Amino acid sequence: MKKKVLSMLLSMAMVAGVITGCGSAAQSAADQLEAEGVTEIPQTEATTEATTEEAAPAEAKELDLSEQVDLVFYVMGDAPQDEELVEAALNEKLLEKCNATVDMQFSTWTDFQQKYANEITAQSADLIYIANWLNYGQLASSGAFEELDEMLDSVAPELKATVGDGALNMCKVDGKIYAVPNTWAEYVCNGVKYREDLRAKYDLPVPDSLENLEAYLLGIKENEPNQGLLTVTTEESQGLKTGFDAAWALNFKYSWVANNGLDYGLAANYDTPTDVYDYWYSDDFVDDMKLMKKWADLGFWSKSALSDTNNSDAYKNGLCVAEVAGQNPNKQVTAIADFENAGQGWESAYVAYGETNGIIFPGHATQNGTAIVRGCKNPERALLVLQTLLCDDEVNSILQYGIKGTHYDVVDGIYKNLQEEAGETPTFPYEGFNTWNIRNGETKLPQKTDVALQEMFDKYAVLGEKTKFPNVNIYDGFAENYDSYSAERSAVSNVMRQYLAPLEAGLVDDVDAAVDEFRNKMKEAGIDKCREEYTKQWVAYCEEYDYK
Amino acid sequence: MAKDLDYEPSSPKTIKKSTGTKVFEAIAYILLAIGSLVCVLPFIIIVSGSFTDNSTILIKGYSLLPRDFTFSAYETIFRSPKDILQAYKMTFYYTIVGTGLGLMMITLTGYVISRKEFKYRNTVSFLIYFTSIFGGGMIPWYLMYANVLNLKGSTLAIWFPALMSPFLVILMRTFIVGAVPDAITESAKIDGAGHFTIFFRIVLPVLKPGLATVGLFLALGYWNDWYRSSMFSTNSSTWQLQFYLYDLLNATTAMKQMASNVSMKTADLPTESVKLAMAVVATGPVLLFYPFVQRFFVSGITVGAVKG
Amino acid sequence: MKNRWISGNRWISGISAFILIFSLPFMNWIKVVNLVSLFSRIGVTKEMAGDLLTGYSLYNLLSFVQYANQGVLGLPAMVLLILMAAAIYFNVAFIIRTFMAGRNGRGKGELSYLAAAKCAFLFSFITALATIAFVIFSNIRFKMTGFLPSAVVFIVLAISLAAYIYIKILEKKEREKYREHGLLVELKRNWVLFVMLIPTFIYFMINNYLPMLGVYFAFTSFNFRDGLWSSPFTGFKNFEFLIKADLFRLTKNTVLYNVVFIGIGNVLQIIFAILVSRVTVKWFKKTSQTLMFMPYFVSFVILKVIVYNVFEYQYGLINNIITGFGGDRIDFYNTPSYWPFLITFFYLWKNIGYGMVVYLATIMGIDNEIYEAARVDGANDLQQIWYITLPHIKPTFIILLLYALGSIMKGQFELFYQLIGNNGVLFNATDIFDTYVYRITMTQPLSIGLGTAAGLYQSLFGFLIIVLVNYVVKKRNPEYALF
Repeated sequence: MKKKVLSMLLSMAMVAGVITGCGSAAQSAADQLEAEGVTEIPQTEATTEATTEEAAPAEAKELDLSEQVDLVFYVMGDAPQDEELVEAALNEKLLEKCNATVDMQFSTWTDFQQKYANEITAQSADLIYIANWLNYGQLASSGAFEELDEMLDSVAPELKATVGDGALNMCKVDGKIYAVPNTWAEYVCNGVKYREDLRAKYDLPVPDSLENLEAYLLGIKENEPNQGLLTVTTEESQGLKTGFDAAWALNFKYSWVANNGLDYGLAANYDTPTDVYDYWYSDDFVDDMKLMKKWADLGFWSKSALSDTNNSDAYKNGLCVAEVAGQNPNKQVTAIADFENAGQGWESAYVAYGETNGIIFPGHATQNGTAIVRGCKNPERALLVLQTLLCDDEVNSILQYGIKGTHYDVVDGIYKNLQEEAGETPTFPYEGFNTWNIRNGETKLPQKTDVALQEMFDKYAVLGEKTKFPNVNIYDGFAENYDSYSAERSAVSNVMRQYLAPLEAGLVDDVDAAVDEFRNKMKEAGIDKCREEYTKQWVAYCEEYDYK
Repeated sequence: MAKDLDYEPSSPKTIKKSTGTKVFEAIAYILLAIGSLVCVLPFIIIVSGSFTDNSTILIKGYSLLPRDFTFSAYETIFRSPKDILQAYKMTFYYTIVGTGLGLMMITLTGYVISRKEFKYRNTVSFLIYFTSIFGGGMIPWYLMYANVLNLKGSTLAIWFPALMSPFLVILMRTFIVGAVPDAITESAKIDGAGHFTIFFRIVLPVLKPGLATVGLFLALGYWNDWYRSSMFSTNSSTWQLQFYLYDLLNATTAMKQMASNVSMKTADLPTESVKLAMAVVATGPVLLFYPFVQRFFVSGITVGAVKG
Repeated sequence: MKNRWISGNRWISGISAFILIFSLPFMNWIKVVNLVSLFSRIGVTKEMAGDLLTGYSLYNLLSFVQYANQGVLGLPAMVLLILMAAAIYFNVAFIIRTFMAGRNGRGKGELSYLAAAKCAFLFSFITALATIAFVIFSNIRFKMTGFLPSAVVFIVLAISLAAYIYIKILEKKEREKYREHGLLVELKRNWVLFVMLIPTFIYFMINNYLPMLGVYFAFTSFNFRDGLWSSPFTGFKNFEFLIKADLFRLTKNTVLYNVVFIGIGNVLQIIFAILVSRVTVKWFKKTSQTLMFMPYFVSFVILKVIVYNVFEYQYGLINNIITGFGGDRIDFYNTPSYWPFLITFFYLWKNIGYGMVVYLATIMGIDNEIYEAARVDGANDLQQIWYITLPHIKPTFIILLLYALGSIMKGQFELFYQLIGNNGVLFNATDIFDTYVYRITMTQPLSIGLGTAAGLYQSLFGFLIIVLVNYVVKKRNPEYALF
């Protein structure tokens, strides 16, 4: 019986082999083409179709406004209480001016990165807030937004003129404009925030260099042994630049540390951006890590600092006397106000790293911008609405400040929130829709605190003028494309958390040995591949923008 | 029919407690007391922290009794009582609708896959269990509700996704198998009872501990959830309570972080104590409600009555 | 004893063998035609053509998708591959069955034999049909005839259909013999049960099964320009980072922690459930139960802050106590060896009261008469627990255990992330799969593929384990099996 079956199977196999054996062997498509004598494949339909279609609406033509369009504008954060009221006032004007309405939708601050990506994937919004900290570069190059180059000319020439070619140029990704920035230059440079009252009391040096910072902190430690000194965590150092916040202080020494410079332990001076050199494998790095260990051993920060995330209110409550990471002029202004409210005679002062290292520049254009989501049904109208929101003073002030007389008033050219004055919770605060991307530098109403802020900005603008690329942030426009080395990249970022952070926090026993281990682990993770590709892209970027 | 009896297994009126029982009970009391203490201590810290001034917490740390007693954390949370009451209302709505519907669906399913005469019970069990292992991730799930069903902003999107869970279905099946011996349903079938009759007249009455357990888990799931509001709500009037509080928390931290990127005004919120007060506000009602469910776990149920 | 009926019908498996031969990798199911116009239409250059073939089996069809950069065809091609794999599995299973048949030839062996045959032919048929559908779909998509199904497809289609119909006829006879019934009869007889399942069906379809298609993202490199379903197919590129990672350590950590959590957790839950059930003073019973339930409501965000304040080096509560007694401070946050215990403790702390409810409910479901009888027979408390309570808890325990095993690779993300955070020093002892993936995806904005790939790995791992364990359990006692 068994034999019978087997022989049957065998014969079947043979039959099958005969049926299909001939003629089914696949050959290489290239060989086949060769045999057919084809030398070139005409690149016709797919590629050309798209270009001809886009070339059609070339010249500026009057936009058809006969049909009302309802747009969704997706912004970050939480809705103000008077969302509906202000929206109604806004839409009344918008209907009149571009026959369109805008429905503001808010990300809320819970999981906002995730929801932001979802929103673009689902294509349910038309206009959307963009920023480099929301990965504008990567999103744009991946095709998340509509190209604006031609539309800006045909639909919104006024917008283009207001924003200016320079700023628009900075929003280019792969040679195309995908976003319109706001027109208010602000300095979000970093620096050290410290307690001026204590410094004066004990006659300590202003912490404007690594040595002075050390002297300042030591001086306070000697005079008030129980006072906490620095609150540092890993929170602001989650990227591929540093692993622990204290390392930001090295900004005094190098202008490219922390949030300005390059990734993967690479460095390039501001004056010579294409001249990329190595930091992690240099002797400087070992010295700096020894300094960090010295500071840690002196007790500048807690031994448990790597797990500490409870930093946000430490300075405000006097638990620490200086902050070195993530401190920009605006935070200084907030601190001044906080100390004023506390009324304990505390005083906060601020030194920007740029004042010492000489490199200072305003935020990049992609810091705050607006884009049109790919798949938007009326991109032209959306752009027209954007133009109206940003350039039309009447509309802009409703959007940014609410209803005059109800929410705010202008006194001596300064914005005044009426409800705050009356001691109530404002139902529509300053920039209540969180539309930082619609700030118009020309017409922006200053708040009370803006005066101090502006003073600082003016000071930095003078410094920034003296740099090689006057007041240009050459770093933040760069968006890395890591498709070809994403696995190495993630391994590198992991090694940073595991080996670089303890080094920078000074928590290792033997710095040299720990540095060696860190370097070896980096090699294993594939740092060289990342660096090679990254450098190539960075240099290309510098060439494109002529940062040489 | 079954009825609740206040029954204590080790205190029958007829038999006197033996020494062994006494020792055993003593140990039980001690262990439970220790367990309860360990569990409740952090909670006391939280409650007292919620009444402590924020900067006091930061400077002096946590304590068992409130120092610098203040209501300011609660004032922050209840700054606009209308909003928080709305959030309470919506959460009650979601919890009641979701638990009611979910419990019904879970019990029915549990009943079906516990029937021996149902040929495909293993296939169905497997298909349900399979979903707890494999999933397509959050994005297709989100697009299913937001784009395909177009439920963004609707309250349906908030309670529907949590109606059932494989775990609860399988738990329910176990309870049904344990509570209703086959012989009973068999004899009922012979008497000509249909599935619905068996389900409502025989299974449900003896299933109280199971229903209470699964219902409790479902309700807690609804009460503690904030994720679906975060994903699908477009208007704060549909927010779940936990999201209302959670977002307050996130806004403080996010805005502080945001401030290193953007010039913006950061709200002045007492973070630490608010966090703690939020925990109290969100948990309080459940702790008040729990004793009502508890009676199903502290009093026994006689199955014997059914057998007769 | 051999099953005579099956021996007589062995030749049917020959058809399966036949189909298997047609499914061998060198058999081309899909032919690529009109190369020049097809390539120019879909933007394939001469250089790319070097990686392409003129004919594809269902195994290497995805390579066409990848090298010709046709992401649109990715999902259909993947479905074809899965169907093919299923068809082969069922055909091989059927053939093996043929030769194993009769080893334990009791009962309705013929029926299950026929069911296996039915499965094999049905899947072969569906695969062939889907291949034709794929060709039609892609041709419509390209607006030209670029693909053709080869003769093999039609042969498989024809013979599998014929074989299926034949089996159906055989089955009918056998069913009558055993008074078994098929789906239609079951539907008619137990329609009420099916009706009861309708809402469940709808729910799981919407909430789980349809979104499950997203597993496909694990094999693509997502970009917005092409959208979710047309992004380039990249094969196993998304899994590379798993290999780059210290996968063994991550898997070991995750599994070990979960084993400890499940093991100790269940034991303690059972112990406390029994204690609560034996306690007589009512207020104590209620209060202790409520108090033990409370940690469940403490969110990890808050727990983190409290834990940090307790274990901090300089000001932490514990170190203050230690120095108060003249001891040396303990550097918790830089010493990995403490954390497995601390994490386990906080896991148990948070979950015992909650998990206890299930056991308590089970204990309450036990018929009191059983205890009464035992007591009359003179059983003491421990004996009652050992001989009555524990055996009654056993089914619940096994089900919970089995259920938990399926998620053995899925870690308690919140617990680890909040307690450890970004403290790299502790990672060797505390990094689990979920926290690692979280850190990786945080540095990459468009990491849909990465995240899905990681999830797929976890799922497959859990699935293998659960299928294995369930098989063993089912062998020993089918009552306790999950499915």
